[in-house]
Amino acid sequence: MASIILPGPRRGIQDQIARLHWPLIIMLTMIAGAGVVTLYSVGGGSWSPWAGTHALRYAISASVMIVMGLIGIRYWMALSYPIYVVALIALAFVPFIGDVNMGARRWIDIGPMQFQPSELMKVGIVLALARYYHGLRAEQVSHILYLIPPAIMIAAPVGLVFLQPDLGTAVMIGATGAAIMVLAGLSWRLIFLGAIAAVAGAVGALRFGLLHDYQLARIFTFLDPESDPLGKGYHLLQSKIGLGSGGLVGKGYMLGTQRELNFLPEMQTDFIFTIFGEEFGFVGTVGLLLLYFAVIMTGMNIALRARSHFARLAALGVCVTFALYVLINTGMVMGLAPVVGVPLPLVSYGGTVMLTIMAGFGIVMSAHMSRDTDGASL
Amino acid sequence: MRVNSNDPEKKEVVTRRAALLGGGFGLLLTGIGARLFQLQVLDYEKYQRLAQENQFNTRIIAPLRGEIVDRFGATLASNRQNFRLLLMPDEAGNVEDALDRIRKYVAIPDDKHARLLREISRTRGYAPVEIVNNLEWNQFTEINFQLPHLPGAHPEVSETRNYPLGNATAFVTGYVGSVTDRDLESPDNKNQQFLLRQPGFKVGRDGLERTYEKELRGVAGAMDVKVNAHGRVIEEVEGSISPPVQGETLGLTIDADLQLAAMKALEGESASAVVIDIETGDILVLASTPAFDPNIFTKGIASDLWRELNESPYKPLLNKPLGGIYPPGSTFKMVSAISALRSGIQPSFKVRCNGKFWYGNRFFHCWKKEGHGTVDMRNSLKHSCDTFYYTVATQIDVDMIADTARKLGLDQTFELGIPGQHSGVVPDRAWKKKFYAGTPENQIWFPGETLSVAIGQGSVSATPLQLAVMASRIASGREIRPRIVRFRGNLELPTPVAPRIDIAEEHLQLARDGMYAVVNEPGGTAVRSALDNRDWKLAGKTGTSQVYRITNEERARGLTKPEDLPWARRDHALFVCFAPFEAPRYACAVVVEHGIGGARMAGPKAKEIMTAVMTKDPANLKPLSPGALAQASKSSREG
Repeated sequence: MASIILPGPRRGIQDQIARLHWPLIIMLTMIAGAGVVTLYSVGGGSWSPWAGTHALRYAISASVMIVMGLIGIRYWMALSYPIYVVALIALAFVPFIGDVNMGARRWIDIGPMQFQPSELMKVGIVLALARYYHGLRAEQVSHILYLIPPAIMIAAPVGLVFLQPDLGTAVMIGATGAAIMVLAGLSWRLIFLGAIAAVAGAVGALRFGLLHDYQLARIFTFLDPESDPLGKGYHLLQSKIGLGSGGLVGKGYMLGTQRELNFLPEMQTDFIFTIFGEEFGFVGTVGLLLLYFAVIMTGMNIALRARSHFARLAALGVCVTFALYVLINTGMVMGLAPVVGVPLPLVSYGGTVMLTIMAGFGIVMSAHMSRDTDGASL
Repeated sequence: MRVNSNDPEKKEVVTRRAALLGGGFGLLLTGIGARLFQLQVLDYEKYQRLAQENQFNTRIIAPLRGEIVDRFGATLASNRQNFRLLLMPDEAGNVEDALDRIRKYVAIPDDKHARLLREISRTRGYAPVEIVNNLEWNQFTEINFQLPHLPGAHPEVSETRNYPLGNATAFVTGYVGSVTDRDLESPDNKNQQFLLRQPGFKVGRDGLERTYEKELRGVAGAMDVKVNAHGRVIEEVEGSISPPVQGETLGLTIDADLQLAAMKALEGESASAVVIDIETGDILVLASTPAFDPNIFTKGIASDLWRELNESPYKPLLNKPLGGIYPPGSTFKMVSAISALRSGIQPSFKVRCNGKFWYGNRFFHCWKKEGHGTVDMRNSLKHSCDTFYYTVATQIDVDMIADTARKLGLDQTFELGIPGQHSGVVPDRAWKKKFYAGTPENQIWFPGETLSVAIGQGSVSATPLQLAVMASRIASGREIRPRIVRFRGNLELPTPVAPRIDIAEEHLQLARDGMYAVVNEPGGTAVRSALDNRDWKLAGKTGTSQVYRITNEERARGLTKPEDLPWARRDHALFVCFAPFEAPRYACAVVVEHGIGGARMAGPKAKEIMTAVMTKDPANLKPLSPGALAQASKSSREG
């Protein structure tokens, strides 16, 4: 078994385990641990309903990451387009067979499991674009003809997710795709034009009512939250109060009053950073941010040491997605970004997102394990 | 294609771009960190304060309303604990299941069940909903005991106003009702907005409850509480409570026993009775029938019951002793007699009565068709001879009659603190001028009008309270001013000063003698009303005031007896009296609307009431003093 999967010179399974990037695993586990600790507090000092499940999900997702890491990067390259196509088909089917949850149709039931095709697409877009640019010569990257396939590859899922409607995920998929194009070496002229097109598209979406009222409200609230403290900006203000009143070292574990008194909605998901910041203070929040930074630097380091272009771009794409999660979520809870429902990776409660992120790091791990192969052939 | 896979140029580009992207990420993350520094370190105090304000909220503690007690301390208005059960829908989980669980312990009718579900869906779960109130004590304890199995259920004790005597004191105490927008806008309540907005807070709507609202309300207390985002109280902050101060107790002059006796005597009639302590002006009885139950009003009255009360011909919403005005009829004859004496007519002045008196261009009839024969002034009262007063009226001026009437307490209101007093009418030349201000041709006083006034008809009208005051002033010769509040809180209100009336004693004495004869001498119109205890001499005067004049046509149809008339057209029955005759202490007035005759309807009721009064003799019992009350309520609270 191992001989089929494992790349490079044949090694024993124990040897392979030892070669895993353990510092990365430990850092990811620390972040997830912060999530468990905070969810325990959010649950009022209880393992249920969140903390216990979160720990279990992390254990499963980490196992998935390790198993994925043990699979050679060339297999992932071979699977890139199929995964993307499956994700795209699933996305296309959501409007017909998906469940409506809180006004948006995002889920597909598979037996007892619920599955969000948009999450699979976050990995799928990274793999597909990495695969695409793997096959291109440097001078082809900015050629107009070779821009069309990646543009379609990005636009199709972004459009489908936007229609669900899930603005946050659509933005993330689009941004990740754009980042990979930039990384692949798109000319600055095209980057500049693309940026203008993106701004124009955003303005157009605002102007011509492509956004739902609640999406508009969130964006305008972001611009001036304190104007209407008990209306749409209420949660944002409460979030800032939670963070701010945490002070330098926090109110102490399980002593957050904003948490205790239910001033925040979705404390276990979108606003968990607020709770963490209220109880652990500036020291805690900066510590957590540094941990995220370290994870991303590690991921990028792995990417740049890979010999295959696919591995490089795929691992960087995962890092970009991860970084976007962190930036959007933390920016959102302190009023620097609109509240668009993006979770804090590995800390927020939620199984699909966790699995997506850890699967992404599975690709990174695979790139690490296969750093000596070029991935050009199976 | 695979030839390009390890293109070093591609690797170089990716590395450069990745470094840029990584740097960009680092910058953005630094921005996030800087923002965190601003929020958590620089602006810490601001957000700390906001978080405190978030959690803590000052709660008003409604004060207990002051009690209203009678002259001996019997409760007329108090506060009763109301055990009720609230449901917090957001804590209850499935609301229908929660209601089903509660139903095991208290009955919830199906229609109410449906109404509750609707209400809960309307409040969207965050506001408490009252499931039941006025629970029995054992039901309440059972629910408290079962509380762990009833998520979302919150048993609560609140206070409701209670009037133990019910309708008997409805017009004295008045009642309390829910706060209206008008109350909120009133300048008196400017600083009381939070208290007034307490759920279930009540303010005085009528009677003394309304007049003494400020004194009865008390002072709100406050405490700091920790609340959650929905405003739900999580806990009290220790040591933050400033206790509320109960409103002042109102001590009345009313004697509850006598009030009940009077209500019983008047039962079934549309009537009123007033008893006054002649020495102090204390109102012992202020009875009005039929009356409403203020306990129902306090809970909020159903519109159909309100309509029924409002449209009833017996006027159960009218405070008849104060607001009901009636022609005094023959009870006014004391005024006319005294006016005659004051005008120089001698007590020995005699008139021959043959049943009618020709004046101007028509006959004025005496109530006794066959006439009284020759009557002097004393007998004119004893027999209530109209002809005597017609004759007198031709010799004296109406302004003199009006002056006497006013000196005896008519045509005025008194400082009682109960709204809705009517001043009645005592006509004279000035009054007529004013009344016909728009039509000067009607302003002339015709001498014939004085004849009607002299027998208490025409434009004369008075309230039962004024008639009782009149009796007390005739009996005492002093300017008795009635009062109903003896003390509030610790402040004992002084007995009003009662100077002598500017009427000669012998003039008053003749009126008293006449009233004595009415009850105690054979042939008097109210001999039936003499008290059974022969030691107690009652002096009184009957009155029958015409509401409707039987037409000749009706007389021709054989309608002669007043019983044949519809109720609303029958004459009013009146009786005024005082006792004991030798040393007057109690004055009383009884008016029975459409009671046909004073002697047959009002007199016996006055007798019943005065018998109760004389038997108890409350004026000679020591009334409750404010200090004693505070002591009593304190010891009962400690016990």
